[in-house]
Amino acid sequence: MTSEEPASEPGQVLQLPTSARATDIALDELELVYAFIYARVGNRADAQDLTQQVALKAIPRLREGAPASAIRGYLFATARSVLGAFWSTRLGLSESELREDLAMPIALGPPSEEGTETVQQILAQLSDNYRRVLELRFLHGYSLKEVASEMKSTVGAIKVMQLRALRAAAKVRPE
Amino acid sequence: MNGKRENRIDKIVSDLLRGRRLKLRGGDAEEKGAITAAARLAAARQGSQRMHPAFRKSLASLLEQEPKQDRVTRRAALVAGLGLAAGVAGGTLLGRATQPGIMPVAGATIDPVNGRWIDVAAMSDLVEGQGKRVKAGGVGAFLFRRGQTVTAVSSICSHLPCELWWDRSNTHLACPCHPASFHPDGKPTDGYALPALNPVQVRVTTAGRIEVLGTE
Repeated sequence: MTSEEPASEPGQVLQLPTSARATDIALDELELVYAFIYARVGNRADAQDLTQQVALKAIPRLREGAPASAIRGYLFATARSVLGAFWSTRLGLSESELREDLAMPIALGPPSEEGTETVQQILAQLSDNYRRVLELRFLHGYSLKEVASEMKSTVGAIKVMQLRALRAAAKVRPE
Repeated sequence: MNGKRENRIDKIVSDLLRGRRLKLRGGDAEEKGAITAAARLAAARQGSQRMHPAFRKSLASLLEQEPKQDRVTRRAALVAGLGLAAGVAGGTLLGRATQPGIMPVAGATIDPVNGRWIDVAAMSDLVEGQGKRVKAGGVGAFLFRRGQTVTAVSSICSHLPCELWWDRSNTHLACPCHPASFHPDGKPTDGYALPALNPVQVRVTTAGRIEVLGTE
C-alpha cells in the first residue's frame, strides 16, 4: 500500500525552497494537520511526533513546487496514512482493519472546535448514564472516585460503566 | 481477562487525562473502539490545539534546512530514523509486522568484522536481575546476570536508533524516543511486535571477568 497522493491540480506554484513566506505557509498548513491529529490521539507528545512525520514525508513534495491547491490535500492524505500506521502499530492491527476508523473528515478551514463539536454530537446520542460518566470524567476531569460520588455509585461500577460508555461512543457516527 | 478490561481502559484514560502518550499493548486491540473514543474525548477536553511555539520552530527549521542537505544522505537518514516510524510506503512495513500471525524477525547476533573480545566488567559488578550498560569499542550492550551465566543484548532500540536505558522499577530496557521497551532477553515487552534486540556475544573468563565481542 502506498500513501494516498491526490493528483496534482493546476494552480499557483509555491516557491518553497527560498522563500521564508513559503515556510510560513507550510507551517500554517501543518497547524491544521496538528489540530487534526491531536483531535484523534488526545495527547501532545504523540501529536507532535506524527505531525513531524507528516512534515518529513511532505518535504519533497513541498520542494517540488506542488500546486497550492494540492498541498493541503496531500498533507491530510499523508496525515491519514501516518495516523493509520500509528494505530495499527499501537494496537497490532492491519490498516485495513482500521479503515472505518480512518474515514475522517478533512478540515478545510483554520483550526476550529471541530473535535469538540463532534464529541458533543457523540455524547448527545448516548444514554443519560453513559453521557454523564464521560462528561464528568473527560470534560470536567473528575477522578473515578469523584464520578462515583457524584453519581452515587461505586468506583468499580463506574469503571465498568466508563468502559461500556466508551464502547457505545465508538459506535456512534456523528452527523 | 474480561474482568480486567475496565481496569486496563481506565489506566489508558487516566494516562490520557494526564496528558501522557498512548502506551498500548497488543491485547488492547479488542478495545480499539473504546480506546480511540477515549483519545477523542481527551482531545475534546483540551479544545482545538495549536502547535507549541518551540515545536513550530523546530518544524520551521526542518523545512528550511532540508534543501541545504545532501538529498540522498538526508533521505537515507530519514528512512533509517523517523521515516521508518512514519512507515515507509504509508506505514506498510510496520503495519505488516504487526498483523496477527506475522512475528517480527529477531535481530541477528552482532558479529563485528575484525571483532575482538573487550574486557568490560567483573562478574561481581553485575546484580542479578539488573541490567548494566557497557561499551566494547563501537558496540554498546546491556549485560544481565543469571547465576553464573551472563547474557548481553544491544543497547540500541530495534525501532528507532536510540540508546536504551535500564528502567530499574519496571525491570526492562526502555527507549527514550518512543514508547518501546524490551525484556532482558531482547524481546519486546508488549504487543507492538517490534523486532527483538540484537544479541551481543559475551563470555566470562576463569578470572571472573566479563568480555564482550566488540571493536577496537
